Amino acid sequence: MKRILLPLLLLAGSAAAAQQPAPAAVVAVPPLTSPDSGTKGNQMLQIGWEATQLIVADLGSTAEFAPLRTTRDDYYSYPEVTAPTFSKWRSAGAKVLVTGFVQGRSDGRLTFGCYIYDVEKGRELARKGFVLTPGEWRRAAHKCSGLAYSTIVGTPGSFDSRIAYVAESGTGDARMRRVAMMDSDGNNHRYLTAGGNMALTPRLSPKGDRVSYVSFAGGKPSIRVIDVGSGQERPLITADAITFAPRYSPEGSRMLFSMMLGSNSDVYVVSADGGLPQRLTTSPGVDTDATFSPDGSKIVFESDRGGSQQLYIMNADGSGERRLSFGNGSYASPQWSPDGQWIAFAHRGPSGRRIGVMKADGTGEALLTNGPADEGPSWAPSSREVLFQRASGVGRSALYRVPLRGGEPRQVTVPQDGSDPDWSGVVE
Amino acid sequence: MMRSAILLFTAVGLFASAASAQLPGLRRYTPTDNARRPAQATPLLGIDALRADFAAQSGGTTVYFGNGSVVLAPPARTVLAAQAAWLRRHPEVIVRIEGYGDGGDTRDHALAVGARRAAETRDYLLLLGVPAAQVSVTSWGKERPGLGRAVTIIVS
Repeated sequence: MKRILLPLLLLAGSAAAAQQPAPAAVVAVPPLTSPDSGTKGNQMLQIGWEATQLIVADLGSTAEFAPLRTTRDDYYSYPEVTAPTFSKWRSAGAKVLVTGFVQGRSDGRLTFGCYIYDVEKGRELARKGFVLTPGEWRRAAHKCSGLAYSTIVGTPGSFDSRIAYVAESGTGDARMRRVAMMDSDGNNHRYLTAGGNMALTPRLSPKGDRVSYVSFAGGKPSIRVIDVGSGQERPLITADAITFAPRYSPEGSRMLFSMMLGSNSDVYVVSADGGLPQRLTTSPGVDTDATFSPDGSKIVFESDRGGSQQLYIMNADGSGERRLSFGNGSYASPQWSPDGQWIAFAHRGPSGRRIGVMKADGTGEALLTNGPADEGPSWAPSSREVLFQRASGVGRSALYRVPLRGGEPRQVTVPQDGSDPDWSGVVE
Repeated sequence: MMRSAILLFTAVGLFASAASAQLPGLRRYTPTDNARRPAQATPLLGIDALRADFAAQSGGTTVYFGNGSVVLAPPARTVLAAQAAWLRRHPEVIVRIEGYGDGGDTRDHALAVGARRAAETRDYLLLLGVPAAQVSVTSWGKERPGLGRAVTIIVS
């Protein structure tokens, strides 16, 4: 049992994290085949095999799937894509079967077909076709993984999505911290800032076309916005103030952030293009780390107005503030899950900082990690996993992901030390 | 929790020398090889001289706060009073007040706490007659290891 429940909340009944996890579904993914023949057929089979390996890796990275071993020698015929021999997969122990094909088109693009089956019932559950350029085969594979995930689990998969984070290298005051971005499978890794100035807390816009972050370039921390396509950068607002904790609204047109006014930190909202900010909180002390609910109607944030950091909820216009967390210790950095059900947070108690979750109504609280220096939770698009940062005792940090239903956190591979992760939604 | 003045001064001296080479926009006096002399005899010029005088006359450039606190304790106020007197005598000098949060805190809260400590420090200097134009504030949150729960006042 890796999960630790807060004692006072044992009475609160079952959280998803407290339920007995369902066993992972055994899934068979035979090599994607092709109706094409000759040289073209071989090219398609090659792409199909690369895609197959990616689908197996995608599904194997989740807590819900356990893929069977697939080798290239398991040639799979084209007719079997739509008419699988279920008895064969039943005896192999599979509960779910994913088949597919790659077909070259006359315009040079490729058609990917993807089919999901319930092996026990011998029934098709879903199918989808994607037309993409040959260079986009990875996305096709991720979309196929996403189809399998959403069909079986019921929420979107996290495969065709992006992760922004801070890449760290060097030591002490010379530590370099750069905004980096990659596909959620680690592919397509790139740096968005040069590293001359310290960068913190990158946050992706919903479309992944912009990243806002906190820069120390102007001598004091302030929010800047990067256009990912052009690499151009600008300050979020023109005020000469300490601004931090940026978060996009679900549709991407607005941004929540915190600003210091004298010795008071409050939550503000502003157009994502800049302009005049509107103040949403007024209490003395530190109000920060505000994020929208996925429907945009509510905002959850942290405040130390009551003496210790706790989570509060208010309407999107700043009205109707009420406290959400009442446990021991302090609660920080809340983030609403994309499905609206959960709020993840960093909890600080006698044994350090850990990542926890509670239902959006404040009940069903559970801690998912053991700390002692975990922070910065960010939901996977599936709402079934939380990405976070874990610091070691020697000033280094790494990114980890932990399933909502509990289990050991797994490290996310990045080229250097990583912190402040932010996981985007699924790219359409 | 306040530390002794002697320890405080030592720690600050180390920090200032380590940090000054990195701070943007600062002119650092570097003795040339043919001008090398024994360390004590090296004349401090420019910003280093001002910094040394500021630290010596104020009893330090760093003030410390309690755990999670943004309240200036009496020893901090003593240092700041001396700093304010010095700054009134040197109206041409601008100082940057850099606040630090607590290392065990979450990132954004630490940033805000560091900014609050810097703002409280600034407000106290202003209360003692230092013109607002002479001070600026910033926060390092918990992003610079080794100097938590503090504010450094740096001649810039």
